[in-house]
Amino acid sequence: MPSKRISLLWALLIIFGLTLAACGGAATPTAAPAQPTATPATTSAAQPTEAPAQPKVEPTTITVWDYYGESSPITPIVDAFEAAHPDIKVQVESLDWDSTLEKLNVVMTGGTPPDVITLDMTWLPTFAPLGAFADLNQFAHGQLNGVPLEKAFSPGALKAMQYNDQVLAMLYDFDVYALYYRADIFEELGLDVPTTWDELTAVGKKLGDAGKGQYAVMPDTFHAAQFIYENGGSILNADNTAATFNQPAGVEAVSYYANLPKEGAGYVWSFEEGWEITPGLKDGRIAMFSDGPYYMGILKDAVPEMSGQWKVAVHPISKQPGSYLGGTGLVIPAKSEHPEAAWQFIEFALTKENQIGVFENAGAAPALLEALQSDAVNAPDPYFGGQRTLEVFLKAMDTAQPFPYVRAWNQIDETFTAAMEEILFGDADVKEALDNAAATIDDVLSSQ
Amino acid sequence: MIHHRSPLRRRLRQYGIGYAFVAVPVLAGVIFLLIPMITTLGWSFTRFNGLQPPQFVGIDNYARLFTHDRIFIKALWNTFRFTILGMLIGPTLGLLTALMLNQKVRFQAFYRTAYFLPVMTSLVVVATIWRMIYNKHGLLNLALGALGLEPIRWLSDPHWALFSIVIASVWQGFGFETVIFLAALQGIPATLYEAAALDGANVWQRFWHVTLPALRPVILFIYIIGIIGSFQVFDQVFVMTSGGPANSTITLVYYLYSKFMDLRLGYASAIAYVLFGILMVFSYLQWRFFTETD
Repeated sequence: MPSKRISLLWALLIIFGLTLAACGGAATPTAAPAQPTATPATTSAAQPTEAPAQPKVEPTTITVWDYYGESSPITPIVDAFEAAHPDIKVQVESLDWDSTLEKLNVVMTGGTPPDVITLDMTWLPTFAPLGAFADLNQFAHGQLNGVPLEKAFSPGALKAMQYNDQVLAMLYDFDVYALYYRADIFEELGLDVPTTWDELTAVGKKLGDAGKGQYAVMPDTFHAAQFIYENGGSILNADNTAATFNQPAGVEAVSYYANLPKEGAGYVWSFEEGWEITPGLKDGRIAMFSDGPYYMGILKDAVPEMSGQWKVAVHPISKQPGSYLGGTGLVIPAKSEHPEAAWQFIEFALTKENQIGVFENAGAAPALLEALQSDAVNAPDPYFGGQRTLEVFLKAMDTAQPFPYVRAWNQIDETFTAAMEEILFGDADVKEALDNAAATIDDVLSSQ
Repeated sequence: MIHHRSPLRRRLRQYGIGYAFVAVPVLAGVIFLLIPMITTLGWSFTRFNGLQPPQFVGIDNYARLFTHDRIFIKALWNTFRFTILGMLIGPTLGLLTALMLNQKVRFQAFYRTAYFLPVMTSLVVVATIWRMIYNKHGLLNLALGALGLEPIRWLSDPHWALFSIVIASVWQGFGFETVIFLAALQGIPATLYEAAALDGANVWQRFWHVTLPALRPVILFIYIIGIIGSFQVFDQVFVMTSGGPANSTITLVYYLYSKFMDLRLGYASAIAYVLFGILMVFSYLQWRFFTETD
């Protein structure tokens, strides 16, 4: 009898323990409020007067989410950072772009967030209005490594980093669109780089007729918005309360874009051929496409054998230059327990040398002006036939603008893309498809 | 004293260990199923982003779903279409295969395993393979080309995409139905067929009057499992199309997921409960049918 009772007790204890463990996980992450007092460096400096037997101060450990994957510019700087900040340990979690957003949603809604996140700037509108990220200005006080923010970044970048009157992200690499083209084929056929839409159509046709590939046409907002901006149109109105892409400038732009394939100048890239267009670059179906500076890194990785064949140029326009402006931002979640240490890491990641590392490791364009103007970044690039490629993107940045920072951006993006898919894949009427999408978006915006 | 013990205590004494073991799954069910379900029901009446406290909005989410949300209606319609198409093709194919395998085929075990193999394969793997088959220059279009036909944009043509996902899903799943049907077929006593043959029934009549009635419980089982599974379709859509093109393959669970990714947890919860409601109705109808006809 007693043995039976004891085993019952054990069983109950185990169950109780399991229950506690299961419930405990959800209850813990009520983070202590940030302590913007003395930096950890000063506290450890006060330590040596104590007896030597005293154990050393536990270093603060910060967690950094890094979505760059294998070509990360983050991991190579960790050792140097820890050497410079012995009181801070850095734990890098290597992720990929897709899973980062998913993980972000999960930890934001019920978990312990990391201290620094590499964030696609197009995700900012979803999180910013919810107070998910700390205002970096409370650590920066208008300065980055002693340089005023207005001097450290371009005006467009600065605008992208701000939400209301807060600075929510430090731009780490930037993304604006330019034209990638097959310089070798252009030379062979004696073609000039197109600077206007008419020329783009003409060049695309000639390439197509010669069987040398065409301009890549894709339904996503990044690529389609390019044309709307260039035609003087916009996605939303100035106060972000209504869709404007269905106004004449937008309809005209989308009609032009959707017509490229029909005229034999464009190639509709559909996702069953892969989410990336690289197979089409390899087999020569695509000889021109628009994309951001990060694509230079992708080209070098995916098609190293095409070295010397590609070049970049300012994207052809109809009325005015224009592009979306995005990239990667470094943010600190509002619930981070070590925002001070996290900020020190961000500052370190944004020194001139480490920004040059973004270009060298990830092939992306650093956001810091000082790094952008450095010789290391502007050296002639043999892959691009000795071209100084970043100049092109830097020029595009002057007129680029971030997508509207509204809570509903995700829905707007999806709705607009769906309309573009109806147009490109389903042969829908441009005006009608855009009108329908605009009505949906207006309804969403009015219900916010 | 012992004689005055309450029955509860006596039962505990007698079956205590049993209760303790039962308590584990019950507690797990309460913690991981019941509590989240009740919480979700509560959230479905709020506007909630997970970061800020939820705001009560009454039935607004539900009202919006059915009156304002074209994509939700599309997701609902697509889910019904997926289920109907899949449930027409899958079990029929499964039954036909089982009938063929039941004809004392050689290497029956081999075929059974072969048909069942995709069932055991991860949906994500299957969907990735089918993405390649559906590629513009993939296997299927190569076959069409050999027949002198134009290639089809299986996944990026809004008219084809959902159907393509149905085909891939059926391919993955009908082995399960085959194995279940085969087991049931082998359980039908041979004497029934002999009696029917003596009565002069032809092959078709034997199938209609002997095989099919004997299979009824199995058919119902397959449809209950199949419909619930079909309504929850997600992986294939996630891997193959992400709900596109132009929302032509968006399904209820995928739409729910996209609302979660948008941090609209109240709205996503409402979608979850609409799905729950639909499945309840279906299960009830099937259960009624099941009990009435037996």
